Amino acid sequence: MISYLADERRVIQWIRHLAAETPVFFPMPHGKVNFRFERVDEASELQFARYRPTIIAPNSFLTPTKEEIFKYQRVGPGRYELTPAVETTFQILAGVRPCDLKAIKLMDDVFADGERDPYYFQRRTNTSLIGYACPAPCDEMAYCESAGSLDWRDGVDVMLTPVGDRMLIQAYTERGEALTASGDFDPCDDPDAELQRHLDERPKPFGRQLHAPVDELPAILERHWDSPLWDQHVERCFSCGTCNLVCPTCYCFDVKDVSALDGSSGSRTRQWDACMLTTFATVAGGHNFRADPAARQRHRVKRKFQYLNERYDSGAFCVGCARCGRQCTTGIDIFDIVNDIVDHDRAAAGGAS
Amino acid sequence: MKDTEKPKPKIAFFDFAGCEGCQLALLNCEDVVLDLLELVDIVEFREALSEKAHRYDISFIEGSINREEDAQRLRDIRARSKYVVALGACACMGNVQARSNFVAPAENFAVVYGEEARNRVQTDREYWPLWAHTRVRSVDEVVPVDYQLRGCPMIPEEFLSLVKSLLAGSIPFFPPKPVCVECKMNCNECVFDQGRTCMGQVTYAGCNAVCINNGYVCDGCRGLLPGANLDAHRQLLRESGLTDAQIESRYRLFCSQAETKHTGQ
Repeated sequence: MISYLADERRVIQWIRHLAAETPVFFPMPHGKVNFRFERVDEASELQFARYRPTIIAPNSFLTPTKEEIFKYQRVGPGRYELTPAVETTFQILAGVRPCDLKAIKLMDDVFADGERDPYYFQRRTNTSLIGYACPAPCDEMAYCESAGSLDWRDGVDVMLTPVGDRMLIQAYTERGEALTASGDFDPCDDPDAELQRHLDERPKPFGRQLHAPVDELPAILERHWDSPLWDQHVERCFSCGTCNLVCPTCYCFDVKDVSALDGSSGSRTRQWDACMLTTFATVAGGHNFRADPAARQRHRVKRKFQYLNERYDSGAFCVGCARCGRQCTTGIDIFDIVNDIVDHDRAAAGGAS
Repeated sequence: MKDTEKPKPKIAFFDFAGCEGCQLALLNCEDVVLDLLELVDIVEFREALSEKAHRYDISFIEGSINREEDAQRLRDIRARSKYVVALGACACMGNVQARSNFVAPAENFAVVYGEEARNRVQTDREYWPLWAHTRVRSVDEVVPVDYQLRGCPMIPEEFLSLVKSLLAGSIPFFPPKPVCVECKMNCNECVFDQGRTCMGQVTYAGCNAVCINNGYVCDGCRGLLPGANLDAHRQLLRESGLTDAQIESRYRLFCSQAETKHTGQ
């Protein structure tokens, strides 16, 4: 691994330099209080300090909200010719926070599972990640440390770590080495010492803390399938799916054909779906497996803290970015739901002993 | 029977009380309209209903039903149509004109035509035929409706999707999602984050959140989503600083029938 040091100004110069040749996306202010990943151009104001997790996570660059999978054309009675959609443009996502880096690693696991998803990996292999290690929680909502994503670096090409008023720049991959070669950086002889300094400068604890370690949550959640807490936490739920759509580890999609008027040709598309929407679990014949909003909420929470951790091996699928709680207009926060269940569990255990 | 011998399906458009903006929205996608004409015969596109013997495969009804004679005409269309589709917010739920249902007819009359006219119309029933205006009704309050194309105006993509489905013999489907879904997919900042309020959480999607994309808020022109959590929404609007009267006004702008009838598919 090659390590460098530079002040933020030179790092930003370097990102601009990269953006002159390749599409680079960076979190930029949007609206009154939000951020979103936008393409860097000459006019972009790039800075690292002020940040709130983007409205939609950067996984939207790997699984777009809507994408065409293939085109079809009728070539005879009952016979169709398929043309797969191919898209291969190199892109760089820069300033990606550790929560989102972990989420992308989780998506790598998900889309490699079973039938390897060619659409995902086509983009993934063509995407370079430049991470940024947070020196402080982005706001009072974050619980990334507690969720186990704060120090995530797996999958990154280049990691930027603020140390004092400078940045430690580390290239983790060959592609990262090639990218950093164009920067005006000083070599760093002792990256471990710099990393340690970064950790020492970080507030402790870092952000909100779940009331139980994430590896204990699957067992705790399993004990509370019928908890009345599930109902309480959906009293103000609109079933609008926002929590799913802004989640960096929600990846469910729906597939549909958009045909020409005469039906002879068209395209098959897939677009994001959301398990909090009322009809997500409705099947042919009309039965809805999760007609009750509390059942949908429970399913969502257990996907993030139990089902998927048990299926894959990278820890909780909630990365603690807190987008869902921030973007929910009625303030339903998965952090509160989990803590309520944990507290209830502890109280029940205390009462039993 | 060979394809070429099959008669083209007959499509008709009928106007009631509305601005005809929905038909304009359709005419704005000229290229698709021309393709459509290859596959169907458009047999009515104006308020002419001369040949009573006509049968229609798909009748699109635009506008709300405001007078008893309109209701009669609508029943007649229904009787001669295979499918009836309510086209746009007026036909689907009465639109803004349905707010007049909450005001006494004489008061409405005075607002529009003045005090003198109101006084005269109350004594002279022949004076003004608009007195025949009874109550603003959606199409499905008068006759059974097969499908609704929501919005003010309706969305041409949904129109085409419906026509394609009916031509192909499949079931048209407009997923019951709130506007938030499309709004989030467009990566918009939530208008509540801007200190404004929105009907998006309880409004039927399908418009691609066009108003929010363009810097406005959702006013709910596509009607309330079946099963929407209206109590939570009213509470949210209250917490966002609206008075109860303002909240009702917000709901009544497009969704005035929310209290009496749910605009479900």
